[in-house]
Amino acid sequence: MQLKKAAARAAALTAALSLSAAAQSPKSKVRWDVGGEVGAYVDSDHVTVITPAASARARAPADGWTASGTALVDIVSAASVDIVSTASPRWTEVRTAGVLQAEYAPREWGGRAHVGGSVEPDTTTLTTGGGLFADLEQRTARTGLDYTFSRERAGRRDTPLSVYSLDLNRHTLTGSLDLVLGPATRFGVVADVMLESGRQEKPYRWLPLFDPDTPVPVGASIVEVHRLRLPAAVTERLPDARQRYALSGRLAHRFRDSTLVLWDRLYADSWAQYAATLDARWVLSPSRRFEAWPRVRLHAQTGVDFWRRAYRAQVTSGSVIAPTLRTGDRELSPLWTASLGPGVRWLIGKNDPRSMAFALELEGSYTDFRDALYIDHRTAVFGIASFQMRLD
Amino acid sequence: MLRPMTRLVCLIAALWLGGCANVAPWQRTRLAHPTMNESDGASASRQHLHEVREGAQGGDGSVSMGCGCN
Repeated sequence: MQLKKAAARAAALTAALSLSAAAQSPKSKVRWDVGGEVGAYVDSDHVTVITPAASARARAPADGWTASGTALVDIVSAASVDIVSTASPRWTEVRTAGVLQAEYAPREWGGRAHVGGSVEPDTTTLTTGGGLFADLEQRTARTGLDYTFSRERAGRRDTPLSVYSLDLNRHTLTGSLDLVLGPATRFGVVADVMLESGRQEKPYRWLPLFDPDTPVPVGASIVEVHRLRLPAAVTERLPDARQRYALSGRLAHRFRDSTLVLWDRLYADSWAQYAATLDARWVLSPSRRFEAWPRVRLHAQTGVDFWRRAYRAQVTSGSVIAPTLRTGDRELSPLWTASLGPGVRWLIGKNDPRSMAFALELEGSYTDFRDALYIDHRTAVFGIASFQMRLD
Repeated sequence: MLRPMTRLVCLIAALWLGGCANVAPWQRTRLAHPTMNESDGASASRQHLHEVREGAQGGDGSVSMGCGCN
């Protein structure tokens, strides 16, 4: 109930911020941008995801306000090894998500607010927040401070949340600094501190247990795991708190006919997971109406400190003694991923080519799981087709 | 020997104090190019994919819609 009230208040605040800004100057011109995209993902672990999304943005540059919204639907179909290993059939799930954002900057400083959420059959998330920012040094520097609160409620499919639910709260503080380093170079830094408290485990994630003396190889198949495991199995159990820290830098440089964008992130958390991510994109503009780019993304991470490929248990006189903390989430294990792919964009607006654009992106990725059961690697293909149009 | 956090603060302060270039408005044609924007090349489905497939989160300055990712 409180969650709904908070959402309603945040939505009203966001709407009021936009409307009051618009009402100040009825003669000012409002510019609209609309867009849509369809993303498609398929991987070697028999997971497919189709994601249609739509977005709209209204802005009045003279008055300094912007309001935008994005909505998407994830249609996930999976028969991954984790599902097959528990003798469950392929499942299909739909996730609906959306976010509304508003920004108002009457002078060199301004404020922004957002409210969003997502709904899945067994998980509901609400996100809301806001922040302040300021343009300094003749708009060659912008600094900002934002706070976001999100609440996630996970349950079991076909069981009311009032009967069974796991709640997770997350507080995120974000500091940002964007600098102009020269006539063609920008550099930005973003720092996030995320404090999570609550239950993060998935109630349907069952883990096999093994005798302490049984060797279990990396990527052991389902058949092999069933041959080696103990008859008992336990559900996942994660710590009730997690502090996460991320620091990223973004460097963008415009050459005569191309733009190079480098983004790098360092990450650490209280579960002793450390990660580094690099994303590079070089946009070539050979003509006014066509752009093409290669994009590469490299990600490497350690496993959390309680990650075990095979959790060992003692079985004594009918009772099972298993490790207190345990997980089967492969994304908490040590892994690295390399992604590479091209993108193209046609600028097809009549007078201003950028007033209408159509883009295609394709990305292939390879993930190496260094210490996991069932699979030791995953290959995936991800594609996006998008369309954007400015309505003047 | 400076502690890592102190080093970080010093680095940001150095960028803050010495990083800003005095670029006149008429010299900002390249800076204003749309491909220099953070939103260029951003995609809601790509962001969600990374949230799900990577253990790390944050640092991208975007607003998450939330998900039961793990």
